[in-house]
Amino acid sequence: MSFTLDEWFVVLLARTIRPTETVFHGFGSPCAQVAMHVARRTHAPEMVLVEGAMYAINPDPPFIPPTSNDASLKRGAGYSMRFEEFFDAAVRGDVDRMFLSGGQIDGSGNTNVTAIGPPGRPKVKLGGGGGGCNLAATIGHLTVWTTRHRSGRTLVNACDFITDMGHRTPLGTRAELGYTGGGPQWLITELGVFDFPAGHARLVQVFPDTGVEEIRAATGFPLEVAGDLRAVTPPSAAELAVVRSLDSLGVRKSEFSPRELSRVFSHGSGQDCAC
Amino acid sequence: MSLQPYRDKRTALADAVSLVPDGAMVALGGGLSARLPMALVRELVRQRRRGLHLVGSAHSIDVDMLVAVGAVRRCEESYVGFEQDLGLAPAYRRAAEAGAIEVAESCCATILAQLRASEMGLPFLPVRGVRGSGIAALHPEYAEITCPFTGETLVAVPALRPDVALLHAPSGDRYGNLHLDQPYVLDERFASASGMVIATVDEISSPEEVAAAGVTIPGHLVATVTEVPFGAHPSSCYPRYAYDHAHLREYVSAAQAGPDDLDKYLATYVHGTEEGYREAVGAAQLGALSTWSQSTAAWKEIFA
Repeated sequence: MSFTLDEWFVVLLARTIRPTETVFHGFGSPCAQVAMHVARRTHAPEMVLVEGAMYAINPDPPFIPPTSNDASLKRGAGYSMRFEEFFDAAVRGDVDRMFLSGGQIDGSGNTNVTAIGPPGRPKVKLGGGGGGCNLAATIGHLTVWTTRHRSGRTLVNACDFITDMGHRTPLGTRAELGYTGGGPQWLITELGVFDFPAGHARLVQVFPDTGVEEIRAATGFPLEVAGDLRAVTPPSAAELAVVRSLDSLGVRKSEFSPRELSRVFSHGSGQDCAC
Repeated sequence: MSLQPYRDKRTALADAVSLVPDGAMVALGGGLSARLPMALVRELVRQRRRGLHLVGSAHSIDVDMLVAVGAVRRCEESYVGFEQDLGLAPAYRRAAEAGAIEVAESCCATILAQLRASEMGLPFLPVRGVRGSGIAALHPEYAEITCPFTGETLVAVPALRPDVALLHAPSGDRYGNLHLDQPYVLDERFASASGMVIATVDEISSPEEVAAAGVTIPGHLVATVTEVPFGAHPSSCYPRYAYDHAHLREYVSAAQAGPDDLDKYLATYVHGTEEGYREAVGAAQLGALSTWSQSTAAWKEIFA
Protein backbone atom coordinates (compact mmCIF):
# COMPACT_ATOMS: atom_id res chain seq x y z
CA MET A 1 0.00 0.00 0.00
CA SER A 2 1.51 3.33 -0.98
CA PHE A 3 0.88 6.70 0.58
CA THR A 4 2.01 10.26 0.15
CA LEU A 5 3.92 12.62 2.41
CA ASP A 6 0.89 14.83 3.06
CA GLU A 7 -1.08 11.80 4.27
CA TRP A 8 1.74 10.61 6.47
CA PHE A 9 2.30 14.10 7.87
CA VAL A 10 -1.33 14.42 8.95
CA VAL A 11 -1.10 11.03 10.68
CA LEU A 12 1.98 12.16 12.62
CA LEU A 13 0.09 15.22 13.86
CA ALA A 14 -2.80 12.97 14.87
CA ARG A 15 -0.52 10.74 16.92
CA THR A 16 0.52 13.63 19.17
CA ILE A 17 -3.03 13.57 20.59
CA ARG A 18 -3.50 11.49 23.73
CA PRO A 19 -6.67 9.43 24.08
CA THR A 20 -8.81 11.64 26.34
CA GLU A 21 -7.46 15.09 25.57
CA THR A 22 -9.44 18.21 24.75
CA VAL A 23 -7.85 19.46 21.53
CA PHE A 24 -8.18 22.60 19.41
CA HIS A 25 -6.77 23.82 16.11
CA GLY A 26 -6.70 27.38 14.85
CA PHE A 27 -8.08 28.58 11.53
CA GLY A 28 -6.13 28.13 8.32
CA SER A 29 -4.73 24.83 9.58
CA PRO A 30 -6.07 22.05 7.35
CA CYS A 31 -3.41 19.48 8.31
CA ALA A 32 -4.16 19.88 12.01
CA GLN A 33 -7.86 19.93 11.29
CA VAL A 34 -7.77 16.60 9.44
CA ALA A 35 -5.39 15.17 12.05
CA MET A 36 -7.83 15.76 14.91
CA HIS A 37 -10.50 13.75 13.12
CA VAL A 38 -7.99 10.99 12.32
CA ALA A 39 -7.17 10.75 16.04
CA ARG A 40 -10.82 10.72 17.06
CA ARG A 41 -11.66 8.01 14.53
CA THR A 42 -8.67 5.82 15.41
CA HIS A 43 -6.83 5.89 18.76
CA ALA A 44 -8.71 8.65 20.60
CA PRO A 45 -12.47 8.04 20.26
CA GLU A 46 -13.16 9.70 23.62
CA MET A 47 -11.25 12.93 22.96
CA VAL A 48 -13.04 16.28 23.08
CA LEU A 49 -12.48 17.67 19.61
CA VAL A 50 -13.08 21.43 19.40
CA GLU A 51 -13.44 22.24 15.71
CA GLY A 52 -11.43 25.36 14.91
CA ALA A 53 -13.35 28.50 14.16
CA MET A 54 -16.71 26.76 14.60
CA TYR A 55 -16.00 25.73 18.22
CA ALA A 56 -18.17 22.67 17.50
CA ILE A 57 -17.69 19.71 19.84
CA ASN A 58 -17.01 16.34 18.19
CA PRO A 59 -18.63 17.03 14.82
CA ASP A 60 -18.58 14.53 11.96
CA PRO A 61 -18.05 16.78 8.96
CA PRO A 62 -18.96 15.24 5.58
CA PHE A 63 -15.76 16.77 4.15
CA ILE A 64 -13.15 19.38 5.09
CA PRO A 65 -13.85 22.70 3.35
CA PRO A 66 -11.11 25.17 2.44
CA THR A 67 -12.25 27.65 5.10
CA SER A 68 -12.39 26.86 8.80
CA ASN A 69 -15.73 28.37 9.71
CA ASP A 70 -17.96 26.68 7.18
CA ALA A 71 -21.10 25.05 8.53
CA SER A 72 -19.99 21.65 7.18
CA LEU A 73 -17.57 21.59 10.11
CA LYS A 74 -20.30 21.55 12.73
CA ARG A 75 -22.37 18.85 11.02
CA GLY A 76 -23.11 16.11 13.52
CA ALA A 77 -21.99 18.10 16.55
CA GLY A 78 -24.38 17.94 19.48
CA TYR A 79 -23.08 21.23 20.76
CA SER A 80 -21.12 24.24 19.60
CA MET A 81 -19.34 26.43 22.09
CA ARG A 82 -19.69 30.15 21.96
CA PHE A 83 -16.47 31.99 21.14
CA GLU A 84 -16.14 33.10 24.77
CA GLU A 85 -16.89 29.62 26.12
CA PHE A 86 -13.94 28.21 24.24
CA PHE A 87 -11.51 30.99 25.16
CA ASP A 88 -12.59 30.87 28.81
CA ALA A 89 -11.98 27.10 28.88
CA ALA A 90 -8.57 27.57 27.28
CA VAL A 91 -7.31 30.35 29.51
CA ARG A 92 -8.45 28.60 32.70
CA GLY A 93 -6.53 25.49 31.64
CA ASP A 94 -9.24 23.10 30.46
CA VAL A 95 -7.85 22.65 26.95
CA ASP A 96 -5.06 20.07 26.78
CA ARG A 97 -3.59 20.60 23.35
CA MET A 98 -3.51 23.08 20.52
CA PHE A 99 -1.90 22.89 17.11
CA LEU A 100 0.20 25.89 16.12
CA SER A 101 2.19 26.72 13.02
CA GLY A 102 4.27 29.69 11.96
CA GLY A 103 6.01 31.43 9.10
CA GLN A 104 9.02 31.30 11.44
CA ILE A 105 9.66 28.87 14.31
CA ASP A 106 12.72 29.02 16.56
CA GLY A 107 14.43 26.35 18.66
CA SER A 108 12.41 27.27 21.77
CA GLY A 109 9.19 26.75 19.83
CA ASN A 110 8.33 30.43 19.58
CA THR A 111 6.33 31.08 16.43
CA ASN A 112 5.88 34.10 14.20
CA VAL A 113 2.71 34.57 12.18
CA THR A 114 2.75 38.38 12.35
CA ALA A 115 5.51 39.77 10.14
CA ILE A 116 8.82 38.93 8.47
CA GLY A 117 11.31 41.75 8.86
CA PRO A 118 11.05 44.71 11.25
CA PRO A 119 7.53 44.92 12.72
CA GLY A 120 7.18 48.66 12.01
CA ARG A 121 7.88 48.24 8.28
CA PRO A 122 7.69 44.51 7.61
CA LYS A 123 9.08 42.91 4.48
CA VAL A 124 6.11 40.54 4.51
CA LYS A 125 3.03 41.20 6.63
CA LEU A 126 1.60 37.81 7.56
CA GLY A 127 -2.02 37.31 8.57
CA GLY A 128 -1.68 37.36 12.33
CA GLY A 129 -1.97 35.03 15.27
CA GLY A 130 -5.68 34.80 16.01
CA GLY A 131 -5.91 33.62 19.61
CA GLY A 132 -2.35 32.35 19.93
CA CYS A 133 -0.73 34.92 22.19
CA ASN A 134 -3.18 34.14 24.98
CA LEU A 135 -3.69 30.44 24.24
CA ALA A 136 0.00 29.53 23.91
CA ALA A 137 0.40 30.58 27.56
CA THR A 138 -2.38 28.51 29.09
CA ILE A 139 -3.17 25.46 26.93
CA GLY A 140 -1.63 22.24 28.30
CA HIS A 141 0.57 21.23 25.38
CA LEU A 142 1.31 22.60 21.95
CA THR A 143 1.92 20.55 18.82
CA VAL A 144 3.82 22.88 16.50
CA TRP A 145 4.07 22.05 12.83
CA THR A 146 5.39 23.36 9.55
CA THR A 147 5.36 22.00 6.02
CA ARG A 148 8.09 24.45 4.91
CA HIS A 149 11.16 23.25 6.82
CA ARG A 150 13.05 22.50 3.61
CA SER A 151 12.87 26.16 2.55
CA GLY A 152 15.54 27.00 5.14
CA ARG A 153 13.56 30.11 6.07
CA THR A 154 11.07 28.60 8.50
CA LEU A 155 13.12 27.04 11.31
CA VAL A 156 15.13 30.09 12.31
CA ASN A 157 17.60 30.92 15.04
CA ALA A 158 15.41 33.80 16.21
CA CYS A 159 11.95 34.84 15.08
CA ASP A 160 11.67 38.40 13.68
CA PHE A 161 8.55 38.72 15.83
CA ILE A 162 7.26 36.37 18.51
CA THR A 163 3.51 36.01 18.12
CA ASP A 164 3.03 32.84 20.18
CA MET A 165 5.37 31.98 22.99
CA GLY A 166 7.36 28.74 23.21
CA HIS A 167 9.54 27.62 26.11
CA ARG A 168 11.59 30.80 26.42
CA THR A 169 11.39 34.28 24.98
CA PRO A 170 13.92 37.11 25.36
CA LEU A 171 11.76 38.25 28.29
CA GLY A 172 12.08 35.00 30.21
CA THR A 173 11.04 31.39 30.60
CA ARG A 174 7.44 30.24 30.81
CA ALA A 175 7.71 30.01 34.60
CA GLU A 176 9.12 33.53 34.82
CA LEU A 177 6.34 34.85 32.61
CA GLY A 178 3.64 33.15 34.69
CA TYR A 179 2.35 30.83 31.98
CA THR A 180 0.22 27.96 33.23
CA GLY A 181 0.50 25.71 30.14
CA GLY A 182 3.37 23.40 29.26
CA GLY A 183 4.38 24.88 25.90
CA PRO A 184 5.55 23.09 22.76
CA GLN A 185 5.76 19.33 23.16
CA TRP A 186 6.28 18.32 19.54
CA LEU A 187 7.47 20.00 16.37
CA ILE A 188 6.50 18.08 13.25
CA THR A 189 7.97 19.07 9.91
CA GLU A 190 7.94 17.54 6.44
CA LEU A 191 11.48 16.35 7.15
CA GLY A 192 11.25 15.00 10.68
CA VAL A 193 9.88 15.03 14.23
CA PHE A 194 11.31 17.05 17.14
CA ASP A 195 10.59 16.90 20.86
CA PHE A 196 11.54 19.51 23.49
CA PRO A 197 13.25 17.61 26.33
CA ALA A 198 14.90 20.70 27.89
CA GLY A 199 12.82 23.43 26.30
CA HIS A 200 14.76 23.19 23.04
CA ALA A 201 13.84 21.33 19.87
CA ARG A 202 15.62 17.97 19.44
CA LEU A 203 15.35 15.82 16.32
CA VAL A 204 14.00 12.38 17.28
CA GLN A 205 12.61 10.93 14.04
CA VAL A 206 13.37 11.39 10.35
CA PHE A 207 11.48 10.46 7.20
CA PRO A 208 13.18 7.66 5.25
CA ASP A 209 13.90 9.83 2.19
CA THR A 210 15.89 12.43 4.12
CA GLY A 211 18.74 12.50 6.63
CA VAL A 212 20.33 14.43 9.46
CA GLU A 213 22.67 16.48 7.28
CA GLU A 214 19.88 17.57 4.96
CA ILE A 215 17.83 18.55 8.00
CA ARG A 216 20.74 20.38 9.60
CA ALA A 217 21.24 22.41 6.44
CA ALA A 218 17.59 23.46 6.46
CA THR A 219 17.54 24.36 10.16
CA GLY A 220 18.49 27.84 11.34
CA PHE A 221 19.02 26.91 14.98
CA PRO A 222 21.77 24.55 16.18
CA LEU A 223 20.44 21.05 15.49
CA GLU A 224 20.28 18.74 18.49
CA VAL A 225 19.83 15.08 17.56
CA ALA A 226 18.57 12.34 19.87
CA GLY A 227 21.01 9.51 20.58
CA ASP A 228 18.35 7.01 19.53
CA LEU A 229 17.26 8.78 16.35
CA ARG A 230 14.65 6.66 14.55
CA ALA A 231 12.73 6.51 11.33
CA VAL A 232 9.22 7.92 11.45
CA THR A 233 6.68 5.15 12.02
CA PRO A 234 4.53 4.56 8.91
CA PRO A 235 0.81 5.27 8.92
CA SER A 236 -1.65 2.44 9.46
CA ALA A 237 -4.26 1.49 6.88
CA ALA A 238 -6.96 2.73 9.25
CA GLU A 239 -5.32 6.13 9.66
CA LEU A 240 -4.84 6.52 5.93
CA ALA A 241 -8.44 5.56 5.29
CA VAL A 242 -9.69 8.37 7.52
CA VAL A 243 -7.41 10.94 5.89
CA ARG A 244 -8.62 9.93 2.42
CA SER A 245 -12.31 9.67 3.17
CA LEU A 246 -12.59 12.78 5.32
CA ASP A 247 -10.39 15.13 3.30
CA SER A 248 -11.79 14.11 -0.05
CA LEU A 249 -11.28 17.64 -1.40
CA GLY A 250 -7.58 17.40 -0.52
CA VAL A 251 -7.58 20.65 1.43
CA ARG A 252 -4.54 19.46 3.44
CA LYS A 253 -2.46 19.58 0.26
CA SER A 254 -2.70 23.37 0.17
CA GLU A 255 -0.07 23.43 2.92
CA PHE A 256 2.58 21.69 0.82
CA SER A 257 4.81 22.62 -2.10
CA PRO A 258 4.54 20.48 -5.25
CA ARG A 259 7.88 18.86 -4.39
CA GLU A 260 6.57 17.60 -1.05
CA LEU A 261 3.32 16.40 -2.62
CA SER A 262 5.32 14.22 -5.03
CA ARG A 263 6.89 12.22 -2.18
CA VAL A 264 5.41 8.72 -2.26
CA PHE A 265 6.18 5.92 0.17
CA SER A 266 5.04 2.36 0.55
CA HIS A 267 4.67 -0.10 3.35
CA GLY A 268 7.24 -2.81 3.31
CA SER A 269 9.93 -0.81 1.55
CA GLY A 270 12.40 -1.44 4.35
CA GLN A 271 10.06 -0.05 7.01
CA ASP A 272 8.12 -1.72 9.76
CA CYS A 273 4.49 -1.98 8.89
CA ALA A 274 2.12 -0.65 11.54
CA CYS A 275 -0.98 -1.80 9.71
CA MET B 1 -26.55 55.43 27.77
CA SER B 2 -30.07 54.03 27.57
CA LEU B 3 -31.01 50.91 25.71
CA GLN B 4 -32.61 51.27 22.30
CA PRO B 5 -36.40 51.64 22.47
CA TYR B 6 -38.64 49.04 20.83
CA ARG B 7 -39.76 50.87 17.72
CA ASP B 8 -39.61 50.24 14.01
CA LYS B 9 -35.90 50.57 13.18
CA ARG B 10 -36.01 49.76 9.48
CA THR B 11 -33.64 52.18 7.79
CA ALA B 12 -32.34 52.62 4.25
CA LEU B 13 -28.79 51.29 3.86
CA ALA B 14 -27.28 54.68 2.98
CA ASP B 15 -28.97 56.35 5.96
CA ALA B 16 -27.81 53.64 8.34
CA VAL B 17 -24.21 53.88 7.18
CA SER B 18 -24.29 57.69 7.34
CA LEU B 19 -24.40 57.21 11.14
CA VAL B 20 -20.76 56.03 10.96
CA PRO B 21 -18.57 59.14 11.13
CA ASP B 22 -15.10 59.50 9.66
CA GLY B 23 -12.54 58.39 12.23
CA ALA B 24 -14.96 56.08 14.06
CA MET B 25 -13.88 52.93 15.86
CA VAL B 26 -15.84 50.28 13.98
CA ALA B 27 -16.34 46.69 15.14
CA LEU B 28 -16.90 44.20 12.32
CA GLY B 29 -19.15 41.23 13.05
CA GLY B 30 -18.75 37.68 11.80
CA GLY B 31 -15.32 36.27 11.05
CA LEU B 32 -13.09 34.78 8.37
CA SER B 33 -15.47 33.63 5.63
CA ALA B 34 -18.70 33.74 7.65
CA ARG B 35 -21.34 36.42 8.13
CA LEU B 36 -19.16 39.42 7.39
CA PRO B 37 -21.22 42.64 7.17
CA MET B 38 -20.32 43.11 3.51
CA ALA B 39 -23.30 45.23 2.41
CA LEU B 40 -22.40 47.71 5.15
CA VAL B 41 -18.73 47.55 4.15
CA ARG B 42 -19.61 48.23 0.51
CA GLU B 43 -21.76 51.18 1.56
CA LEU B 44 -18.85 52.59 3.61
CA VAL B 45 -16.80 52.38 0.41
CA ARG B 46 -19.54 54.18 -1.56
CA GLN B 47 -19.73 56.93 1.03
CA ARG B 48 -15.93 57.28 0.97
CA ARG B 49 -15.55 57.00 4.70
CA ARG B 50 -12.03 57.78 5.98
CA GLY B 51 -9.84 57.30 9.03
CA LEU B 52 -11.61 54.27 10.46
CA HIS B 53 -10.21 52.27 13.35
CA LEU B 54 -11.32 48.67 12.69
CA VAL B 55 -11.57 46.11 15.46
CA GLY B 56 -12.46 42.44 15.23
CA SER B 57 -11.17 38.91 15.64
CA ALA B 58 -10.18 37.04 12.46
CA HIS B 59 -11.31 38.78 9.26
CA SER B 60 -10.74 38.77 5.54
CA ILE B 61 -12.32 40.62 2.59
CA ASP B 62 -14.17 43.12 4.81
CA VAL B 63 -10.99 44.58 6.29
CA ASP B 64 -9.00 44.14 3.09
CA MET B 65 -11.51 46.04 0.95
CA LEU B 66 -11.77 48.95 3.40
CA VAL B 67 -7.98 49.16 3.55
CA ALA B 68 -7.79 48.94 -0.26
CA VAL B 69 -9.94 52.05 -0.73
CA GLY B 70 -8.05 54.05 1.90
CA ALA B 71 -10.86 54.08 4.47
CA VAL B 72 -8.72 52.77 7.32
CA ARG B 73 -6.28 54.44 9.70
CA ARG B 74 -5.78 51.63 12.22
CA CYS B 75 -6.35 47.86 12.18
CA GLU B 76 -6.85 46.02 15.46
CA GLU B 77 -7.75 42.47 14.44
CA SER B 78 -6.23 39.18 15.50
CA TYR B 79 -5.88 38.08 11.87
CA VAL B 80 -6.58 39.42 8.40
CA GLY B 81 -6.29 36.97 5.53
CA PHE B 82 -7.86 34.20 3.50
CA GLU B 83 -6.44 31.17 5.32
CA GLN B 84 -4.75 28.46 3.23
CA ASP B 85 -7.58 28.95 0.78
CA LEU B 86 -6.48 32.18 -0.91
CA GLY B 87 -3.57 33.25 1.28
CA LEU B 88 -2.50 36.66 2.51
CA ALA B 89 -4.83 39.67 2.34
CA PRO B 90 -3.38 41.67 -0.57
CA ALA B 91 -4.36 45.27 0.28
CA TYR B 92 -3.88 44.84 4.03
CA ARG B 93 -0.47 43.35 3.46
CA ARG B 94 0.58 46.10 1.04
CA ALA B 95 -0.64 48.89 3.34
CA ALA B 96 1.07 47.34 6.37
CA GLU B 97 4.34 46.90 4.51
CA ALA B 98 4.20 50.51 3.23
CA GLY B 99 3.37 51.86 6.66
CA ALA B 100 0.12 53.28 5.29
CA ILE B 101 -1.97 51.86 8.14
CA GLU B 102 -1.27 51.37 11.83
CA VAL B 103 -1.29 47.65 12.57
CA ALA B 104 -2.22 47.10 16.20
CA GLU B 105 -2.54 43.35 15.74
CA SER B 106 -4.34 41.85 18.70
CA CYS B 107 -5.34 38.49 20.10
CA CYS B 108 -8.80 36.91 20.37
CA ALA B 109 -8.97 36.38 24.14
CA THR B 110 -7.50 39.84 24.77
CA ILE B 111 -10.11 41.51 22.56
CA LEU B 112 -12.77 39.45 24.35
CA ALA B 113 -11.56 40.69 27.75
CA GLN B 114 -11.51 44.28 26.51
CA LEU B 115 -15.07 44.02 25.23
CA ARG B 116 -16.23 42.41 28.46
CA ALA B 117 -14.71 45.28 30.45
CA SER B 118 -16.75 47.67 28.33
CA GLU B 119 -19.88 45.55 28.81
CA MET B 120 -19.37 45.62 32.56
CA GLY B 121 -18.62 49.32 32.69
CA LEU B 122 -15.11 48.57 33.99
CA PRO B 123 -11.96 50.43 32.90
CA PHE B 124 -9.95 47.23 32.33
CA LEU B 125 -9.73 43.49 32.89
CA PRO B 126 -6.61 41.38 33.50
CA VAL B 127 -5.50 38.63 31.08
CA ARG B 128 -2.91 35.84 31.15
CA GLY B 129 -0.37 35.36 28.42
CA VAL B 130 0.59 38.25 26.13
CA ARG B 131 3.76 38.86 28.23
CA GLY B 132 6.71 37.75 26.16
CA SER B 133 4.75 38.02 22.91
CA GLY B 134 5.58 40.77 20.45
CA ILE B 135 1.87 41.57 20.45
CA ALA B 136 2.37 43.35 23.80
CA ALA B 137 4.83 45.75 22.18
CA LEU B 138 2.20 46.75 19.61
CA HIS B 139 -0.04 47.89 22.48
CA PRO B 140 1.60 50.51 24.69
CA GLU B 141 -1.83 50.93 26.32
CA TYR B 142 -1.48 47.55 28.08
CA ALA B 143 -0.07 47.62 31.62
CA GLU B 144 1.30 44.94 33.91
CA ILE B 145 -0.41 44.68 37.29
CA THR B 146 0.12 42.58 40.39
CA CYS B 147 -2.86 40.61 41.60
CA PRO B 148 -3.65 41.84 45.15
CA PHE B 149 -4.71 38.32 46.17
CA THR B 150 -2.16 35.96 44.60
CA GLY B 151 0.71 38.31 43.84
CA GLU B 152 0.98 37.09 40.26
CA THR B 153 1.76 39.46 37.42
CA LEU B 154 -1.05 39.86 34.91
CA VAL B 155 -1.62 42.14 31.94
CA ALA B 156 -4.33 44.78 32.33
CA VAL B 157 -6.04 45.53 29.04
CA PRO B 158 -8.27 48.61 28.77
CA ALA B 159 -11.97 48.49 27.96
CA LEU B 160 -12.64 48.57 24.22
CA ARG B 161 -15.76 50.50 23.33
CA PRO B 162 -16.29 50.67 19.57
CA ASP B 163 -18.33 53.64 18.39
CA VAL B 164 -20.28 51.39 16.05
CA ALA B 165 -20.70 47.66 15.53
CA LEU B 166 -21.65 46.52 12.02
CA LEU B 167 -23.44 43.17 12.13
CA HIS B 168 -25.13 40.94 9.59
CA ALA B 169 -27.70 38.28 10.46
CA PRO B 170 -29.72 35.84 8.34
CA SER B 171 -32.95 37.16 9.82
CA GLY B 172 -34.32 39.80 12.13
CA ASP B 173 -37.47 41.78 12.78
CA ARG B 174 -38.35 45.45 12.42
CA TYR B 175 -37.41 46.09 16.06
CA GLY B 176 -33.89 44.90 15.43
CA ASN B 177 -34.15 41.51 17.14
CA LEU B 178 -31.58 39.37 15.33
CA HIS B 179 -31.39 35.61 14.89
CA LEU B 180 -27.94 34.22 14.10
CA ASP B 181 -26.59 30.77 13.34
CA GLN B 182 -23.42 29.73 15.13
CA PRO B 183 -20.65 30.70 15.19
CA TYR B 184 -21.74 33.99 16.67
CA VAL B 185 -18.05 34.95 16.93
CA LEU B 186 -17.93 38.26 18.83
CA ASP B 187 -21.25 39.65 17.60
CA GLU B 188 -23.00 39.37 20.97
CA ARG B 189 -20.09 40.99 22.75
CA PHE B 190 -19.85 43.76 20.16
CA ALA B 191 -23.57 44.40 20.50
CA SER B 192 -23.40 45.23 24.19
CA ALA B 193 -19.89 46.74 24.25
CA SER B 194 -20.37 49.20 21.37
CA GLY B 195 -21.98 52.63 21.36
CA MET B 196 -24.34 51.67 18.53
CA VAL B 197 -25.26 48.60 16.49
CA ILE B 198 -26.09 48.93 12.80
CA ALA B 199 -27.47 45.67 11.45
CA THR B 200 -28.34 44.20 8.08
CA VAL B 201 -30.38 41.04 7.62
CA ASP B 202 -30.97 38.86 4.59
CA GLU B 203 -34.66 38.97 5.37
CA ILE B 204 -36.87 40.93 7.74
CA SER B 205 -39.31 38.48 9.30
CA SER B 206 -42.17 38.95 11.71
CA PRO B 207 -41.30 39.34 15.41
CA GLU B 208 -43.08 36.03 16.01
CA GLU B 209 -40.92 34.21 13.47
CA VAL B 210 -37.70 35.66 14.86
CA ALA B 211 -38.75 34.81 18.42
CA ALA B 212 -39.54 31.25 17.33
CA ALA B 213 -36.13 30.89 15.65
CA GLY B 214 -34.48 32.38 18.75
CA VAL B 215 -33.27 35.92 19.36
CA THR B 216 -29.47 35.98 19.53
CA ILE B 217 -29.08 39.76 19.75
CA PRO B 218 -32.04 41.65 21.22
CA GLY B 219 -33.56 44.72 19.61
CA HIS B 220 -32.77 46.88 22.61
CA LEU B 221 -29.10 46.71 21.60
CA VAL B 222 -29.73 47.53 17.92
CA ALA B 223 -30.12 51.05 16.50
CA THR B 224 -31.03 50.31 12.87
CA VAL B 225 -31.92 47.28 10.78
CA THR B 226 -31.84 47.06 6.99
CA GLU B 227 -32.95 44.20 4.79
CA VAL B 228 -30.23 43.36 2.27
CA PRO B 229 -30.53 39.98 0.56
CA PHE B 230 -27.09 38.35 0.31
CA GLY B 231 -25.82 41.11 2.57
CA ALA B 232 -22.90 38.96 3.75
CA HIS B 233 -21.90 37.81 0.25
CA PRO B 234 -19.21 36.77 -0.72
CA SER B 235 -18.91 35.43 2.83
CA SER B 236 -21.40 32.81 3.99
CA CYS B 237 -24.60 33.32 5.92
CA TYR B 238 -25.84 29.89 6.89
CA PRO B 239 -28.45 28.49 6.67
CA ARG B 240 -29.06 30.69 3.64
CA TYR B 241 -25.88 30.54 1.59
CA ALA B 242 -22.33 29.19 1.63
CA TYR B 243 -19.37 31.41 0.86
CA ASP B 244 -18.59 32.27 -2.73
CA HIS B 245 -15.16 30.88 -3.36
CA ALA B 246 -15.04 32.01 -6.99
CA HIS B 247 -16.00 35.57 -6.12
CA LEU B 248 -13.47 35.75 -3.29
CA ARG B 249 -10.81 34.56 -5.71
CA GLU B 250 -11.84 37.26 -8.16
CA TYR B 251 -11.51 39.91 -5.46
CA VAL B 252 -8.15 38.59 -4.21
CA SER B 253 -6.77 38.42 -7.76
CA ALA B 254 -7.86 42.00 -8.44
CA ALA B 255 -6.45 43.29 -5.17
CA GLN B 256 -3.18 41.44 -5.79
CA ALA B 257 -2.83 42.78 -9.32
CA GLY B 258 -2.95 46.40 -8.18
CA PRO B 259 -5.01 49.60 -8.27
CA ASP B 260 -6.27 49.29 -11.88
CA ASP B 261 -7.69 45.83 -11.42
CA LEU B 262 -9.08 46.71 -8.03
CA ASP B 263 -10.78 49.81 -9.49
CA LYS B 264 -12.30 47.57 -12.12
CA TYR B 265 -13.61 45.24 -9.42
CA LEU B 266 -15.03 48.16 -7.45
CA ALA B 267 -16.64 49.65 -10.55
CA THR B 268 -18.24 46.34 -11.47
CA TYR B 269 -19.49 45.36 -8.05
CA VAL B 270 -19.34 48.10 -5.44
CA HIS B 271 -19.77 51.63 -6.85
CA GLY B 272 -23.46 51.27 -7.49
CA THR B 273 -26.13 49.81 -5.29
CA GLU B 274 -26.68 46.50 -3.57
CA GLU B 275 -29.24 45.62 -6.25
CA GLY B 276 -26.54 46.28 -8.81
CA TYR B 277 -24.12 44.16 -6.81
CA ARG B 278 -26.46 41.18 -6.88
CA GLU B 279 -27.06 41.64 -10.59
CA ALA B 280 -23.34 41.81 -11.30
CA VAL B 281 -22.67 38.64 -9.31
CA GLY B 282 -25.62 37.02 -11.07
CA ALA B 283 -28.69 35.20 -9.90
CA ALA B 284 -27.33 31.84 -11.06
CA GLN B 285 -24.17 32.15 -8.97
CA LEU B 286 -26.06 33.38 -5.91
CA GLY B 287 -28.60 30.62 -6.31
CA ALA B 288 -25.89 27.97 -6.48
CA LEU B 289 -24.62 29.03 -3.05
CA SER B 290 -27.97 28.11 -1.57
CA THR B 291 -27.88 24.53 -2.88
CA TRP B 292 -25.55 23.35 -0.12
CA SER B 293 -28.38 21.72 1.84
CA GLN B 294 -29.53 19.46 -1.03
CA SER B 295 -26.75 16.90 -0.69
CA THR B 296 -23.16 16.44 0.40
CA ALA B 297 -22.22 16.31 -3.26
CA ALA B 298 -23.91 19.67 -3.91
CA TRP B 299 -22.22 21.14 -0.87
CA LYS B 300 -18.78 19.92 -1.94
CA GLU B 301 -19.37 21.25 -5.43
CA ILE B 302 -19.43 24.78 -3.99
CA PHE B 303 -15.85 24.33 -2.83
CA ALA B 304 -14.51 22.39 -5.79
